[in-house]
Amino acid sequence: MTTAVSARQMSLWRLEWLRLFRTPRALSLGAVYLAIGLIEPVATRYASTLLAHVGNGAEVRLPKPTPVQALSSYVSEATLIGLIVLVSVAASAYGFDARPGLAAFFRTRVRGMWRLVAPRFTAYAVGGAVAYLIGTLAAWYETRLLIGSLPVGGLLAGLLCGAVYLAFAVAVTAFAASLTRTTVASVGITLGILLALPLLADVHAISNWVPSALIGAPADLVASPPGHGLVHFVPALGVSAVAGALALAAAVLRLRRREI
Amino acid sequence: MPLAAGSARPLVQALPALIPVLALFLGLDIYCLVNLTRATSVRNAPKLAWVIVILCVSAPLGAILYLFFGMDRTGAGQKAAPAPRQAAPPAIPPMTVGSLQAKAGLIVATTGLTRNYGGNGLFDVDLAVPRGCVYGLVGLNGAGKTTLLSIVAGTRHADRGSVSLAIERRRMAVCPDVPEFDGWLTAAEVVDLARSLVAPEAGPAAVDAALRAVGLADAAGRRLGGFSRGMQQRLGLACALTGDPELLILDEPTSALDPAGRAEMLALVAAMRGTRTVIFSSHILADVQRVADQVGILRDGRMLYQGGTRELMDNHLTPSWLLRIAERTGEVAAALAEQPWVARVETAEPGVLRVDATTIEDGERGIPAVVAACGARQVSCEPAAADLEAAFLALTGARVAEAA
Repeated sequence: MTTAVSARQMSLWRLEWLRLFRTPRALSLGAVYLAIGLIEPVATRYASTLLAHVGNGAEVRLPKPTPVQALSSYVSEATLIGLIVLVSVAASAYGFDARPGLAAFFRTRVRGMWRLVAPRFTAYAVGGAVAYLIGTLAAWYETRLLIGSLPVGGLLAGLLCGAVYLAFAVAVTAFAASLTRTTVASVGITLGILLALPLLADVHAISNWVPSALIGAPADLVASPPGHGLVHFVPALGVSAVAGALALAAAVLRLRRREI
Repeated sequence: MPLAAGSARPLVQALPALIPVLALFLGLDIYCLVNLTRATSVRNAPKLAWVIVILCVSAPLGAILYLFFGMDRTGAGQKAAPAPRQAAPPAIPPMTVGSLQAKAGLIVATTGLTRNYGGNGLFDVDLAVPRGCVYGLVGLNGAGKTTLLSIVAGTRHADRGSVSLAIERRRMAVCPDVPEFDGWLTAAEVVDLARSLVAPEAGPAAVDAALRAVGLADAAGRRLGGFSRGMQQRLGLACALTGDPELLILDEPTSALDPAGRAEMLALVAAMRGTRTVIFSSHILADVQRVADQVGILRDGRMLYQGGTRELMDNHLTPSWLLRIAERTGEVAAALAEQPWVARVETAEPGVLRVDATTIEDGERGIPAVVAACGARQVSCEPAAADLEAAFLALTGARVAEAA
């Protein structure tokens, strides 16, 4: 007699795939970004109508909305709500030390913390990028229908910047998870770091180098002439990549030293 | 073509843009309601309350609330009832032939192992585990059992001292006292994950063998959300066995099991004797006495005794038997009193003699011989409190007296 062993063999990579799709993680990520992408252009287009309803019929005159405004609204909401959701689901995946029995399962079998961290980082960095892509496509569709078209080149360049920033955020989450065992604390530390970065950007000399400069990149890039603009974000892209790698390395080192 | 602001029929013209939004909201609500209907359980609130939240809280907020706080992540629609209890699981066969032949010497040894948690912890512990034995690590709660096993397993560090293993670390498996797994995985997936990490060359057959060995073959395809504590402990053991370890460390494997579950777990452990080395900690001395041939007693972080279970009882107890005979009680008592190996004979009650011997072996051999020599009819002869618990109390009590 044989048991019903899954046809697909398990690995740490497949574990993350199953974690994404057997729990609401993937659905939550996709739904949140999709909802923001669909709603924000509509809200931008009908802002004056909505305000008139809220204001009991008072006439509200707003400037004619532009496609860049619609995309900016999407980016703004996605950066706030989407980022919180992404960091939350990533932190719960990194929190394998929160449960001693689960920690013992992994730590007595896996040689090297990188083997535990890498699939988690990849799954949520890629998951975040895909969700961001879905949301951006939805925002592009709605904006094109309601307000006007967006330049595809700038949109793609903005997508790249957004995806790199989200990967950086997932790496920071890994580092936060190495500082504390609980998911809530990891989320808090990560959001604290990510929210503190724009303060650094106030220092003019480094404003182009801070990863948070990538947050507004999609809107800036669609407003730039074709072929221009991305160069402006190269320093922030480079710093994000390097800082993300350093955050992952620090996380691996700290997790290796941690006892259960 | 963008829609013109101030259009005469704005709603109709905006439909292509609004339909995806409505579809998303409606889709989320439908998904959540279907999930809710199929789920056998939900979290934080009754099903009816979640239906009201999904339908009445502004879409899609209600659905999102349900996704995060109400959805049962262990698999909607799965029956959560525990599997019927299996018959006693079969003895575990050696998973490979020839790799676990017992060798002379130790498989694990520690020297002066110390981990100080502000006065508690471990102090100068010299553990010596012979290859192929079942080693019971005994001690009260807080004695240092888990700390010692964690340091041997490599999940904690020692302040001082060393751990020597006669095997590669990957040939050692650890099963914690409370194995925990993600509830959305199936039993087979968990064991297969363990296999892929420690023995990728073993193949799926090893997963089958491990699940069968612990009696979980019928639950292989079930998600773990509905597993009882006992099933989770057996699953933890299956994960440990799938790599065919030479050394198996079990931390309190029977601590939370009911009597039947305890008996099954102990049968599994006993069946491993000779094929692999097992170290298991417990504060249930009857369990240790039942399956362990070697025992280590920890108290306040120090090793009080280490050696054979039998020798412990021999050396730290006055072996005593209650001898029930049908006739000639006085004659038998007098004959026993003349024996050099008899420490004391007294009448416990009419027809029952309490006989204290100098060693267990002398008593077991000598008492039946004396009864036979007297021509008396023996009804029964059973040990009186010659168990590990009595030895443990005698040993720790003696040390308490010494300390005082």
